[in-house]
Amino acid sequence: MSTLDRSVAPAPAPLREFHFPQIRRQTLDNGMTVLHAVHGAAPIVTIHFVADAGAVREGNARAGLAELTANLLETGTGTRDAQQIAVELETLGAQLETAVGWDAASVSLTVPVAHAATALAILGEIIMRPAFVDSEFERLKQEQLGQIVQRRQDPRLLAADVTGRYLYAQQSPYSRPLIGSTETVNTLGRHDVVEFYSEHYGPSTSAVLLVGAVDNELLDAVRGTFGDWSTDAKPGADVSTEPAADRTMVHIVDRPGSVQSELRIGHVGLARHHPDYFPVLVMNAILGGLFTSRLNMNLREKHGFTYGARSVFAFRRYPGPFVIQTAVANDVTARAVEETLREVNALRDSGATVAEVAAARDFLNGILPLELQTTEQLAARLAEIFVFGLPDDYFDHYRRGIAAVTPDDVLRVAREHIHADRLAVVVVGSADAIQQPLDQLAIGPVQKHHIND
Amino acid sequence: MKDKPVVRFERFALDNGLRVIAAHDPSAPVVAVNLWYNVGSRNEREGRTGFAHLFEHMMFQGSAHVPENAHFALIEKVGGSLNGSTWLDRTNYFETLPSHHLELGLWLESDRLGWLLPAMTQQKLDNQRDVVKNERRWRVDNQPYGDWDEQIQAMMYPPDHPYHHSVIGSMEDLDAATLEDVEAFFRTFYAPNNAVLTVAGDFDPASLPELVERYFGDIPSGPQIPPLPGRTELDPLLGEEIRRVVEQDVALPRVYMSYRVPAYGSSEFYAAAVAAHILGEGKGAVLYRKLIRTGLAQDVVAYAFPIVVGSALLVTWATAMPGVDVNVLERELSNAISELRNVDDADVTRAVRMLEAARLRDLQRIDERADALSMFTMLFDDPDRINTEIDRLRAVTTRDVRSFADRYFGETNRGVLTYLPRQS
Repeated sequence: MSTLDRSVAPAPAPLREFHFPQIRRQTLDNGMTVLHAVHGAAPIVTIHFVADAGAVREGNARAGLAELTANLLETGTGTRDAQQIAVELETLGAQLETAVGWDAASVSLTVPVAHAATALAILGEIIMRPAFVDSEFERLKQEQLGQIVQRRQDPRLLAADVTGRYLYAQQSPYSRPLIGSTETVNTLGRHDVVEFYSEHYGPSTSAVLLVGAVDNELLDAVRGTFGDWSTDAKPGADVSTEPAADRTMVHIVDRPGSVQSELRIGHVGLARHHPDYFPVLVMNAILGGLFTSRLNMNLREKHGFTYGARSVFAFRRYPGPFVIQTAVANDVTARAVEETLREVNALRDSGATVAEVAAARDFLNGILPLELQTTEQLAARLAEIFVFGLPDDYFDHYRRGIAAVTPDDVLRVAREHIHADRLAVVVVGSADAIQQPLDQLAIGPVQKHHIND
Repeated sequence: MKDKPVVRFERFALDNGLRVIAAHDPSAPVVAVNLWYNVGSRNEREGRTGFAHLFEHMMFQGSAHVPENAHFALIEKVGGSLNGSTWLDRTNYFETLPSHHLELGLWLESDRLGWLLPAMTQQKLDNQRDVVKNERRWRVDNQPYGDWDEQIQAMMYPPDHPYHHSVIGSMEDLDAATLEDVEAFFRTFYAPNNAVLTVAGDFDPASLPELVERYFGDIPSGPQIPPLPGRTELDPLLGEEIRRVVEQDVALPRVYMSYRVPAYGSSEFYAAAVAAHILGEGKGAVLYRKLIRTGLAQDVVAYAFPIVVGSALLVTWATAMPGVDVNVLERELSNAISELRNVDDADVTRAVRMLEAARLRDLQRIDERADALSMFTMLFDDPDRINTEIDRLRAVTTRDVRSFADRYFGETNRGVLTYLPRQS
């Protein structure tokens, strides 16, 4: 063996092939979608139910209803109470995960394959025959109200909850917290839950996704469980995503005593179906998606302002937010905003280098198999296919879409989709410590808000 | 047995003392490289709390043949993921890569183990000190209840015990760290004889030993590792109830109840782990049933920390629902924990089934496999624990949990830490 020359990075070995797992689709007679993929060597299976029952369906006056409804599903059926459901599933080794997003609500579990049929039967009961018991409704409503109070004291959760209102106009669902507010959740009654459930949970707008050691027996069991679910859900209406403002504004959400400012800087972004999806992914990786992104290298590695900085385009069914986020010490808050805007403008002015674009493309393509190691990870991709109506072979072509992105594309989408002149700069922090320097930045009007506004 | 997959591995060592575990699995074109160093916050000297973690940050700042910022950049640009973490007992570094880039990982890891110091500068140290201070603000100082682990460690371990202080350390001690400290720490703890390297996933098993030798073989052994500072022996029980009340900007009161329990690795620790699952894991758990279903608590947690020096900790907490009296919450939390003295078979079975299933889920990931193999080798010189640990948990009986609860869940073996909203 030759002597090792440490001064150069080793050359890669030949590339190993990777194929996205094959996805199979069935549609039951009642319209329910079943997607499955055999995946991995572990003797487990993920069963993931997803419905078009996300928070965009609830209406602003009933904010928090989608969350409450989904959480109530597992609290009792005609034959089992909440405690029995939890204990029975957990004794099978299955832990139920309920998640509510803007676009969908899901209830999923991962279970040793020997117990899959039993777990599936309980899951079916939870989805199709929830009892919405009064006492459980009241308990979970109080728990949600308690969470809302808790989130106001936590700077990151507070920032997550308030940023939408400075990005989106009031009529947009994205302007408000997904969990709802004290006012809206207080008004919710059990009848709201029953109504929301009957309108938005049904076979034609939901899917069961199976990933892992899936066999024909389990597929038969899914048909047997959900095949005669006959209620029907309404297709949802489109929602507004009007922006809150047409100019850059600074919003200080005063949290006295803070030793750090949580910064959220952004505007209305793009829908999942936007034709620039791939170039925007690459562009965002360069701006704030990678550890070695421009924002993180500037704010963290150059200036030491923060533990980390990143940017995200939240692709939803309707245009979700584009947000840069970081947390910085009080005394550098204004400088961090300034440096952030500098990076945004530099990308819009000059685009990215050939090397940066290549690195971002190779990152996004290389990371794909790393993020498909578990049945849950693949189930999340299947959910993406269902929720956004993507073709079943979408991920077979994903890498081609990324690889085609050029430096010109990156420059074009930076200019088209990042609006440096209408950014909402949201700062959750100590107004006493940060307001004056933010005023002096003179990037737009500065408004101060109380934590409970 | 179908529900008990076995992780197969080879084990070897280099002449310089580096222990190597190779766990081959070509089912996906990915490979994990994982290093554990037998150094953590427990090794820090007085006046340098937080240094092991600050040092971990310096390990990403380049080495003799790796330029500044290149470590992250080289891995990201091939589509890999990477990080490091510091804990009481250890520091680990890891990357998961498309498998044809395995050598890149070995090159980067060997260069910083062998040739870190030439790349260290005051400017890099000052920068990472600022980053870490912001990490502390982010995790601890600007977070409701953010200092809970710091408070509990200080309550539950005496001042001269290596677990008395937190991993993140104090701002004052971070400020005091110097380049000389970086050099001394590196020379003391970062040596192949104080490390375990695991490679898991898709690689050529026949050529791996040669490949590891090529990158790590010429790094010299370090001196003998000094003993832990302070006093590591502890009485098995605390002997008193220690109470502390913290007024903070929190929305709701929270009570933490912590118990001194036998160290990780001892047979009784497995009863502690099962007890923690019975108490806090899942909505079928005892604390969920007694505190959340009754409307007293907003959230509950129970966790047995797998730490090895002297004694481990079992920590529980409950956050009050709005309007619930914190004294009532404390009483009911205490009562619920005491119920484990009469725990029944169903609760134990539920906990063990959940642990078994969690193992199956976790081991799907090659990075999890690699980290577990490094851990078991480092802590117990027994990588096969990745396969046998679950049997130790399965072996815990209802009677074991009851006697564990009898012995350790007493009022004179606990710390009670209460957070109250600040009165303005």
